[in-house]
Amino acid sequence: MVMVYQYIGVLIGVLGTIYTLLRFREGKMSLGMLLVWSAIWIIIILISLFPAETGAFAPLLGIGRGLDLVFILGLIGCYYLIFRIYNMIENVEQEITHLVREIALQRENMDIKPEEDKEN
Amino acid sequence: MLIETYEKRNPHNLFPESDLEIWIIIPAYNEEKIIGKVLKELFDMGLNLIVIDDGSWDNTYQITQQIIKNYPGRGYLYKHPINRGLGATLKTGIEAALKKNADIMVTFDADGQHNAGDILPVCYPIVEGRADVVIGKRDFDEMPQQKKRANQIMNLITRIFYGVHVQDSQSGLRAFNRNAAIALDIESREYGVSSEIVREINHKNLRMEEVPIETIYTDYSLSKGTNARIGFKILIKMIRDILK
Repeated sequence: MVMVYQYIGVLIGVLGTIYTLLRFREGKMSLGMLLVWSAIWIIIILISLFPAETGAFAPLLGIGRGLDLVFILGLIGCYYLIFRIYNMIENVEQEITHLVREIALQRENMDIKPEEDKEN
Repeated sequence: MLIETYEKRNPHNLFPESDLEIWIIIPAYNEEKIIGKVLKELFDMGLNLIVIDDGSWDNTYQITQQIIKNYPGRGYLYKHPINRGLGATLKTGIEAALKKNADIMVTFDADGQHNAGDILPVCYPIVEGRADVVIGKRDFDEMPQQKKRANQIMNLITRIFYGVHVQDSQSGLRAFNRNAAIALDIESREYGVSSEIVREINHKNLRMEEVPIETIYTDYSLSKGTNARIGFKILIKMIRDILK
């Protein structure tokens, strides 16, 4: 019997893949991120199509049911992504600060010097 | 007039026997109400000033500009196009002062809470070669209760995380010699910079001295500076530093 979540899962996976491919085509995503995201979407589609198969992997990690394994891995994946994004933002902040400081130093007494020159 | 100007330009009347150049670094963020008075007082003492406007949205920049024009060659103004926090601002100031060949750099808050007369005592241990960094320590007993508590907690946190005990970790009045200024490795963009400076003193084995200074508490300066929210932010930053 096909459950509703399976349709939703496949739909999300397909939409995600399309969005990822579009982002890559527009040059807004690196090749590495394309591969990572494609893999994530494909796994979501596969799990939705064959939910029973996850039961084969669960015992390996000492987890009872296949879908529990999926949820746990999904949560870990989410946290990992948040961590990555947090680090990225931190890097961007640092780069902005670097730029701002550089601009400030280059524009020393920016609006003061020209008048001095005129006086001289 | 010329002689008078020359005398004003010569900052060494603070220490007639030494020719160390002292530059005052003034980080400013939305201080239009008071910065004019602070800058004029320091200029009139014969000091060289570096003012960094950290993306203020009031008239801090314009006011500073007008004043610096009256003291040619003795004041330099830098503007962060967007607000980046105290840490980044001090870093810009130190870099600028090093380029001006400063021998001693003094950080001085723009909000009028410091007494300009304390600059000399803060520089003294460096002039005498006893210290690389001098921290001006405020008298906690004179502080309003809430400020006192906040500063004591910051001292404790600084001690726990960075293993250094200083009597006033959050003081804005400090002096550095050239070696110390070059050695400082500041990453914190915000108020955490004060504790980070203490950490650097420890890591880089800089000689530190603490000198008592006066703090002028007005309603204006009380509304600024370290409060519980900023303290909490600094704590989070320190925990992150350790986990890194």
